[in-house]
Amino acid sequence: MIAPTDFEVMVLVTALVVLSLVYSLVKFAWKQPLQNGPGYFLGIEVPAGFYDGPGKRWLTGYRAILVALHLALAVALALCFAFKRWDLIPLWCGGFALVYVPALFTLNLWTRHKLGARPPVRAVALSLESRRLGDYISWPIETLYAVIIAACWWLLLRRGLAIDWLPPLQMTWAALILPGKIALVRSGAPLPAERAEEHYRYQDAMRRNAIRALNAWGWLMLVTLCGFPLRLIWPPASLPALVWIFLAVFTAVFLCMMIVIYRGMRLAATMGRNLLPAGSWMTPFRRVTRQMNRFYLIWCAIWVGGILVLNIYSLCR
Amino acid sequence: MFLTLQPNDKRPVYQQIVDGVKTLIARNGLREGMTLPSVRQVAGDLGINLNTVAVAYRQLQDEGFVTVRHGAGAVISSRTPHPIDEAELCQSLRIALTELILAGKTSQEIEETVRRELALLQQTRSCNTEKGGAQ
Repeated sequence: MIAPTDFEVMVLVTALVVLSLVYSLVKFAWKQPLQNGPGYFLGIEVPAGFYDGPGKRWLTGYRAILVALHLALAVALALCFAFKRWDLIPLWCGGFALVYVPALFTLNLWTRHKLGARPPVRAVALSLESRRLGDYISWPIETLYAVIIAACWWLLLRRGLAIDWLPPLQMTWAALILPGKIALVRSGAPLPAERAEEHYRYQDAMRRNAIRALNAWGWLMLVTLCGFPLRLIWPPASLPALVWIFLAVFTAVFLCMMIVIYRGMRLAATMGRNLLPAGSWMTPFRRVTRQMNRFYLIWCAIWVGGILVLNIYSLCR
Repeated sequence: MFLTLQPNDKRPVYQQIVDGVKTLIARNGLREGMTLPSVRQVAGDLGINLNTVAVAYRQLQDEGFVTVRHGAGAVISSRTPHPIDEAELCQSLRIALTELILAGKTSQEIEETVRRELALLQQTRSCNTEKGGAQ
């Protein structure tokens, strides 16, 4: 048995990412503005007949941005392959997320500014259910997670300074998601007083889905991190079967992550169909945005910023 | 269990929270030993200042409706009849009645409204008691 080359591994990773991107573009992102029905555009209430008039232009503009973003991604990927820079593939994945998420976020803000600058003020309901961390986060699994990271680093440190520290450091940083999960449990958006119970269930389901998706991402990073000490202990040439097993585990975890994300998106579309979207109304105190508290935004900025810095450093060194 | 805050309510937010919790206690929706969400959670969920919620919780504690224990949060206290000052009660009632009279309601309509509200309260209370017993 022969171990796959770095090029073959990168082709596999790229294929998985591209397939999932195309699937999410076709199945979800393309129809995203209409998710809450014809009365809404990206969760913002629009007048009747909107899609017969200016709505068409808005929808075309939104889809043109999606296509442009994906085309830029495809060009960047083609360049990576043309210049045989496989080392840039992880940067390409991260770079796409760093461009795609803020672009759609900005588009959302722009749409809200243009179409829903003055949403109606409605009565707000307050749930008196306490959200405890233990109800959302499994502490034994978090402990196991920490033990695996510590074990990986212990195995790496035994090798001294002769190895390349940057890739394991990048994976470890990307795997540090517990503060994000805590912030998600603590985050909540105001609930409209009408059908408060259903809105509460929807919001809680979205919170649990986001935590599940983060968990799956964490395990993917952890599997990748485990690859570094394994590679040092059993080099691919000496034990090629191990590389294939590792790739099979990686692919399985990746597919699980995508299934978790897609199921969450489908659930969001089903549960939220007849509910009032966040952003389409105001409480007496403030505008309702998606459930993001300050702690969550700060964590996102630090975490994403860290990934970005490590990626840029790996590119520049 | 939900309490509702209305956009056109003239009472301050902390008072709306206090009154909402008291109503739920009166209706047996909140029973002794039940924990209220943390000040941080309520403030975050409503998008209001932490101090506003803290003031509401402090008032509930001062009036003996909740006990704030470090680490356990705000817990609904035992249901001993809450002592109330007769003069204070009459004043609150007078304000409410004045509002209704100024709104053009007749004495008969006011009496009917009071009777209806009282019946609704009793009905919800017995319903919640049954639910609590079943659990």
